[in-house]
Amino acid sequence: MHLRQLAILILGLCTQLSTPYMLYKGLGVAANTHSPIVGVLSGSMEPGFHRGDLLFLWNRGDTRVGDIVVYTVQGKNVSIVHRVIAKFGGGAEPLSVLTKRDNNQGDDRPLYAPGQQYVDREKDVVGRVVGTVPYVGYLSLVMEDYPWAKVVLGGLIALSVMA
Amino acid sequence: MSDNKISPHSLNDLKNTTDDCLANYLRSLSFVQDNSKLDVRLAVGYVAVIIATITFVADYKLGWEATKLGTAFAVVAYAILNGVYTYWMWMVEKGLVFEGTKGSKRVSIASKTKKHDPTYYLTVTTSSSTNPLEIQCPFTTWFTSDGYFVAQPFQQWLATSVGVIGEADQKNAAKNEKEDLFVSEAELNGTPSASGADSGKGKGTKRGKKKS
Repeated sequence: MHLRQLAILILGLCTQLSTPYMLYKGLGVAANTHSPIVGVLSGSMEPGFHRGDLLFLWNRGDTRVGDIVVYTVQGKNVSIVHRVIAKFGGGAEPLSVLTKRDNNQGDDRPLYAPGQQYVDREKDVVGRVVGTVPYVGYLSLVMEDYPWAKVVLGGLIALSVMA
Repeated sequence: MSDNKISPHSLNDLKNTTDDCLANYLRSLSFVQDNSKLDVRLAVGYVAVIIATITFVADYKLGWEATKLGTAFAVVAYAILNGVYTYWMWMVEKGLVFEGTKGSKRVSIASKTKKHDPTYYLTVTTSSSTNPLEIQCPFTTWFTSDGYFVAQPFQQWLATSVGVIGEADQKNAAKNEKEDLFVSEAELNGTPSASGADSGKGKGTKRGKKKS
C-alpha cells in the first residue's frame, strides 16, 4: 500500500510541474510562437515599456505599421522589442518589415546582422505585443543574467509542492 | 496505531490520519483491498505526465517549428486526460477510502468532513445491505487533545456500527463503549490493570471520567 501512496505523492509533484509547462506550451500553440511571454530587456521603448515589464505576444493575423513586435536578429540569439515603421512585400515575396525603437531617431538597421536590410515577418518575428504586465518580467531578466536563479526557482517550486 | 503526532486543529490531518488507520484496521481483519479505482486514477495521471515529458524532450531536441503540430496534439491530450482524472476523482472515487472483500462480503467506505465541524462522516456500502449506511462520530473519540491517534475507541466504533466489520472483529463489536468509563477496582487502588497502556489512553480520550 505504501507503494501506491508513494506513487500518488510523486504524481502530485509531477502534475504540479507539468501543468504550468503545458499551459505555457498551449499558449504558444494558440499564439503560434515559441515564446508567447517575454520580458523587456531595455528601456528603448520608454515611456511605453520599461525594463522588467512582461509582454504577451500573438503571432497570428496581419502586421500593421505601428505595431510593436518582438524579433530576433538574424544570426544572433538576441530578441528586440521595437515598433514596425514600414512594410515591404507580402504578396509574391515574403513580408518584410523595418523596425525602429521609439527612443531613437534612426531605424534599427545598425542593429541588424551585416547585410540584413529588413526583418522577415515569417522567420524572424516572434510575435506582436498584445498585452503587458509591469514589473513581473524582472524574474525572467534575473534568470537570463544569472542562470543559477533558474535552479533556485525550480528548487523552491519543488519544496512548496512537498510542504 | 501510529506514533505520529498530528495537529488536532487541522481537519485535513484528522481526516487523512483516520482514513489511513481505517484502511490499516480493515486490512488487519483480513479484508482484501480492491485498488482498481485507485489504479485507474494513477494510470490516467501518469499517462498525462508522460505526455508532458515527451513534449518537453521533443521540443528540447527538435526545436519549436518541427514540434509545433505535435505539441498542439499533446496539449489537447493532456487537457483531456486531466479532465478525465478530475472527473474520476469527483464522480467515481468520491471520497472513497477503502474498498475490499472478505470471503463473500464486500464493503465500500467513503469518508468526508464538513468545514469547521470536527466530525468524521462515513458512508458504508456493503454487499449484505441495499442502502448505504451513513454513520458519524466526533474525532475526539479517538484523538487525544494533543493529537495522538488511539486505535481502540476507533475500532470499537466501527465494529459496533458496521455489521460486516463487527462480524470480522468480534472482540471490538462485543465491547460496550460505556465499559471504558468505569474504572475497575484494581485501578482505583492504584495497581495497573492488565490491558495496560491501551485502556489508559482510552480513558485519556474520554477525559478520564472516574466513578468511585
